[in-house]
Amino acid sequence: MADVLDINDAVDLDVEDEGEQGVLRLKDKVLRRKGRGFGPGEKREQEKIRGYESVDPGEYADESGPQKSVEGWILFVTSVHEEASEEDLSEKFSEFGPIKNLAINLDRRTGFLKGYALIEYGEFEEANAAREALDGSEILGQTIGVDWCFVKGPKKNKRSKSKRH
Amino acid sequence: MSSSSEFYLRYYVGHKGKFGHEFLEFEFRPDGKLRYANNSNYKNDTMIRKEVYVHPCVMEELRRIILDSEIMQEDDSLWPQPDRIGRQELEIVIGDEHISFTTSKTGSLLDVSQSKDPEGLRCFYYLVQDLKCLVFSLIGLHFKIKPI
Repeated sequence: MADVLDINDAVDLDVEDEGEQGVLRLKDKVLRRKGRGFGPGEKREQEKIRGYESVDPGEYADESGPQKSVEGWILFVTSVHEEASEEDLSEKFSEFGPIKNLAINLDRRTGFLKGYALIEYGEFEEANAAREALDGSEILGQTIGVDWCFVKGPKKNKRSKSKRH
Repeated sequence: MSSSSEFYLRYYVGHKGKFGHEFLEFEFRPDGKLRYANNSNYKNDTMIRKEVYVHPCVMEELRRIILDSEIMQEDDSLWPQPDRIGRQELEIVIGDEHISFTTSKTGSLLDVSQSKDPEGLRCFYYLVQDLKCLVFSLIGLHFKIKPI
């Protein structure tokens, strides 16, 4: 697995800073703050963690382009009817290729479907065809949304190749 | 995605004990970056650290989950204080509002119903479960790991 992982310690400082700045800007804009996390003496437990691993983006297209996962290409399905079954989904999606993985989560309070699903195909073409054909289609009379689950994100200036710490 | 729909979410649960500082933390940044860290010194001594950018449709779904939960209307003032057993933090910035809640670890729903703010704590409890569920699916499938 190591060959698909790369570690970005301090190598992509520009992108990293931009991400941090985005969060700070967002926090600056708020009008109301609430919670004990703001209180005096409250210290965030978070440690400064470095060396997050990510899957190699491969050939670089644009940053909104889909990102391959370790074993395939994953679609994110939304607005799934709360009473839909795994079969309802797999029947529809397996037309475009064998489904390698299917994750449907439940609403922990109601026990019905939460409304989203992750579907993985082995090949890009399969996932892309399913995405194009099924976005806007219906399951149990409800229109679903289908799009990529992961994207490449902002381009990094440099990348250091895999080595697990 | 327009900047007005941008938001931020961070969740932390952890404690300091005989295996050191053990914790699970994840955050979603406005640019779609999902970061996940899990430090359990008991089974393996290396920390799991993963990051990936999610598509705007995932951010939109997360936003829906947050808004539907009505967590932004809650307040942590009556919730159990973090203690030696553990600590949870939930930080969300959405629209004009920024919440930063802290509480102890939630044992069971019984603890929730016996607390001073059962309604609010229940809201927190279920939201955290739904968030973990989403994050474990995202990280688990993308990296082919069992997040816990």
